[in-house]
Amino acid sequence: MTTSDDAVAVIAQPEIRQGSRWRLSLPAGLLAVPLLFFLAYFFFYPAIALLFSSIQTQNSQGIIGRPFTLSHYARLINVDLYARVFWNTLRISVITSALATVLAYPVALVMVKSRPLVTRVITLIVIAPLVVSVVVRGYGWQLILANGPKGMLNWILMTLHITGGPVSILYTEVAVIIGSLHVFFPMMVLPLASALGKIDPNLEDAARMLGAPWWKVFLRVTLPLSMPGFVAGFTLVFSLTAGSFVIPAILGGASAIMLGNLIEQQIFVVYDWPFGAAIAVILVGVVFAVNGFSMWLLEGRRLRRAS
Amino acid sequence: MDERFSGLGAFILYAITTAMMIFIMAPLLLVMAASVSDSYFVTFPPQGFTLKWYAKVLGDRDFLEAMRLSILLALGTTAGSLLLGVPAAFALVRGNFFGLAAIKGFLLSPLIFPSLVTGLALLQVLTKLGSQDARLNLLIGHIVVTSPYVIRTVVTSLQLVDENLEDAARTLGANRLRTFWRVTLPQIASGVAAGGLFAFMVSFDNYPVTMWLANSEYSPVPLVLMRQLVNVFDPSVPAMSTIIILMAMVGVLLLEKLVGLRRALAA
Repeated sequence: MTTSDDAVAVIAQPEIRQGSRWRLSLPAGLLAVPLLFFLAYFFFYPAIALLFSSIQTQNSQGIIGRPFTLSHYARLINVDLYARVFWNTLRISVITSALATVLAYPVALVMVKSRPLVTRVITLIVIAPLVVSVVVRGYGWQLILANGPKGMLNWILMTLHITGGPVSILYTEVAVIIGSLHVFFPMMVLPLASALGKIDPNLEDAARMLGAPWWKVFLRVTLPLSMPGFVAGFTLVFSLTAGSFVIPAILGGASAIMLGNLIEQQIFVVYDWPFGAAIAVILVGVVFAVNGFSMWLLEGRRLRRAS
Repeated sequence: MDERFSGLGAFILYAITTAMMIFIMAPLLLVMAASVSDSYFVTFPPQGFTLKWYAKVLGDRDFLEAMRLSILLALGTTAGSLLLGVPAAFALVRGNFFGLAAIKGFLLSPLIFPSLVTGLALLQVLTKLGSQDARLNLLIGHIVVTSPYVIRTVVTSLQLVDENLEDAARTLGANRLRTFWRVTLPQIASGVAAGGLFAFMVSFDNYPVTMWLANSEYSPVPLVLMRQLVNVFDPSVPAMSTIIILMAMVGVLLLEKLVGLRRALAA
């Protein structure tokens, strides 16, 4: 089905790559060396050092060293409070990504298939908040969701007599999910829109002409062909939500703490570096697992297409 | 034009899209409305109209200090990540050496690594090194997280450069540096500018790395705002937020002018 698509892509590819005599090999490669060293020293090495501290012991002077131990990881699993934070984080991240998917499809479809002006306006509205500080956006939601009659949502609900009294959403998991959805929604819309934009409209027209209703065209043609965008978007939203700190801190309060907040507490309040490091390693592990899985999904797809 | 959306399907699509546009704008608009409310507490609906909260914010030394620090930090970060990132992007596109793909993956890896952990790990190492200057530590941390953005935008624009023009310049006797400066750079200028603008905005808004590396003397804007959220309940907090929103909008419009938003982000 996608062969025509691929053929077009191959033809459209500019041929400037070929016959380039000015292609430097080694000297050009050397230009990457400064950044390589910088990242090796300030990113890679610290990450490895953190991994090491997570299996070491901290003495009463706060110095981290031998003996090696896995007790910090055991603590994360065995202590009910910490295990709950872990599952909270996974649940919030999965629900946020799923909601983002369902809500981003219509937006991405309209964005791709509308008149240029509509596309421009939607793109601007979707992207603009992306560059506004997360703290500001979290604060906006705090004003909307505020418990008691002062909050905008409660004011609307009570003015329209939908509910008798104020509802309490702020400082719950629901508030964290709403805030995360708001912050990471663009990360779902953009990959989806880019995948939808690559679909040959003739395929959908063909299905429609052959008598398929709109929902069947979507389910059988559009949805399967947009899978790469979905996988990329889901992975991004999940990873970013799992690693968030500001939104749960502002909207979750004490009842919806996530791994990021737990790490901060352990380092800044308890000064337990090895345990904080262990939680960080778990967080990185979760994010890497999801990224690896999605890469595997996309690879598999490419293989199937090639064969 | 829109004949492919029709009937119920179209209605559902447009209804959800409209609802999401409202969802996206609501918190920002509310913050802006609250910033001009003539009341001593932030309430809904906002009351009256006043600009006195802006006057208060613009006279607030903590906020102004934070603003100064954040802007200088973002400028330094932009310069640093461009200086390191543009040559590296050049190597990735023009280089032809063993392990190119692996190196590209490594250079982009701070993007998928939770930046909260990037900051924590860096704090541990910098503490061990005895690096006490929060400004320097912040600069290092911010360059780590912004350099991949520069790499992505510059790599994309470099791939579109017509190398024949460079060959022509070289044949006509220009040396490499001059060829780069006069032929290559003008072609990738918008990509470099977009990368720099990204670096500036990401640095200015960054919280998860900043929270580890800042101290009480040097706190950038996001940290100061976070502190105010907890301690201050008058509309000066929305006023500060509105200033930040307006600055971000200027950045977005610049980005749209320079390269087009979709292209800048899809890169």
